[in-house]
Amino acid sequence: MPALVEISGMHFRYGKAGGRVPAAWTLRDLSLDISADSTLGIVGESGSGKSTLVRVACGLLRHQEGRVAFDGREIDDWLKSSPKDLRRRNQIVFQSPRRSLDPRMSIRRALAQPVRALERRVPTDAEMVEWLARVGLGGEILPRFPHQLSGGQLQRIGIARALSVGPDVLYADEPVSALDVSVQAQVLNLLMDVRSQLGLTLVMVSHDLGVVSRLCEEVIVLQHGVIVEAGRTSEVLADPQNPYTASLVTAARAVSLT
Amino acid sequence: MLEVRDLRVRIGRHQIVHVDSIDVPAGGRLGLVGESGSGKTMTAMSIVGLLPDEAEVSGSIMFEGRELLGRSDVELTRVRGAEIGVVFQDPSRALNPMMRIGRQVAEAIRLQMDLSRTDVRRRVVSLLEQVQLPDPASLLRRYPHQLSGGQQQRVLIAIAIACDPKLLIADEPTTALDVTVQEEILRLLVTLSEERSMGLLFVSHDLGVVRFVCDHIAVMYGGGLVEVGPTSKVVELSRHRYTDALLAANPGIPAADEIEAYVGRRLTVIRGSVPALGNFPSGCRFRNRCEFAVESCIESPPVRTVDDDHRFRCWNPAVRSVDASVG
Repeated sequence: MPALVEISGMHFRYGKAGGRVPAAWTLRDLSLDISADSTLGIVGESGSGKSTLVRVACGLLRHQEGRVAFDGREIDDWLKSSPKDLRRRNQIVFQSPRRSLDPRMSIRRALAQPVRALERRVPTDAEMVEWLARVGLGGEILPRFPHQLSGGQLQRIGIARALSVGPDVLYADEPVSALDVSVQAQVLNLLMDVRSQLGLTLVMVSHDLGVVSRLCEEVIVLQHGVIVEAGRTSEVLADPQNPYTASLVTAARAVSLT
Repeated sequence: MLEVRDLRVRIGRHQIVHVDSIDVPAGGRLGLVGESGSGKTMTAMSIVGLLPDEAEVSGSIMFEGRELLGRSDVELTRVRGAEIGVVFQDPSRALNPMMRIGRQVAEAIRLQMDLSRTDVRRRVVSLLEQVQLPDPASLLRRYPHQLSGGQQQRVLIAIAIACDPKLLIADEPTTALDVTVQEEILRLLVTLSEERSMGLLFVSHDLGVVRFVCDHIAVMYGGGLVEVGPTSKVVELSRHRYTDALLAANPGIPAADEIEAYVGRRLTVIRGSVPALGNFPSGCRFRNRCEFAVESCIESPPVRTVDDDHRFRCWNPAVRSVDASVG
């Protein structure tokens, strides 16, 4: 069976096509397969292209060269013929839950957006209460606004919203780095739970190797837009082959509490 | 060297901080750990008088035998920079983007010391060398945007130590940096503190980072100290339930042969979230989130001491076999 997400020889750069001086590649000659039901961690320093890779993989950014395919079809093809299906099956949870929700929109409205946009219908309160229950929240927060909720609650809403359209792949871009330490564990457990309950493929960007070692069976290490190491998390962390990965593991271990 | 006693900070009708006692001896490194709203930054900034105008501060902050509280801004300006240096969280925002690096470091020296131009320049180069920046002479002419985040933070550390302060306050100095850069900066802070017998008050939300840097840790929650002691005791023999819970909730990186078993294993959680200002419960402020809360927790817990140097405020502390004799 082919991988759910297939990326091969992909190049990506920001900036307008046809600019006089093309920008440097943000991602270079990148190849990666993500199989269904797997858990993949993406680590690397800031500016290495982690978030860009996620956005290219789910079709939010268009790559310039190489191939990106989802479920056997080219992303370009999806975007031309059935963009909504692509969006429905690939959902993202962002880093800052506060910034990814409109402050003037009630939770009810914010939560309804993906279904309104992708299924062209307004979900009922009963449906939304069910989505909230899945992430450990009660229906009483539906009429509230983001400023009335904590960061942990907002990130749960972000997850509930992403799950509302029944995705195959959940991309999480630094989902807990903006949260208090005491709340991070709750959200990480929630991600683990919904992943196994719904049989999701989880792709998570994180700078925290501890988080990756808990949630992701596989990991890729990005440096300057290139994958410098890929493999099972246990093997990569125990015996890193690339010098950059090794320095990353050493630095993370120095401040790790275990 | 630094003795803080009964420090209270009020803003409007909320008491934000009440710290009974914090000490940093000469050359000592104290980590102030807490989550958002714990009052750690307020506590650190009250020492250098960098709180918002509406904050009312009371208590005592003795530095080298002198009371810092109640001093005028002019007097404090002489202390800040000259005797106490400060490093802030986001290096890109703390530097002036329009000013060359050399001038920014020189400014810190000129404000406090009366040196000739050549001496100032010599000192700037030497400072940049001390914070292990490559090629200081050419760095002088660069602008902040030409430096990486780690290099910018090194420049800020150079500015903070420009006048040989006896105490350096660092507020989340590596939070905005990558892990590998973080380790370098942390090592640099430890080296500088050791070489210069400079005290360090290190503010962070990350117990792992604090353990790496500091010899003592003070854990804060809801504006107050919950546990204070030598690093090894606070981390390995934590007594307060909050410290304990924080340690357990931290994913950490397992030993090489245990990683396989960690994937998918649930983390220990702390229920609820940090309450908003003014919504903390009375008595022990952690009690509404604590798994071990007992009836007495509605009263303010007394300070208990183990081995003279390890204090905590908890009615129902974690039991450790090594110290049966809790005072």
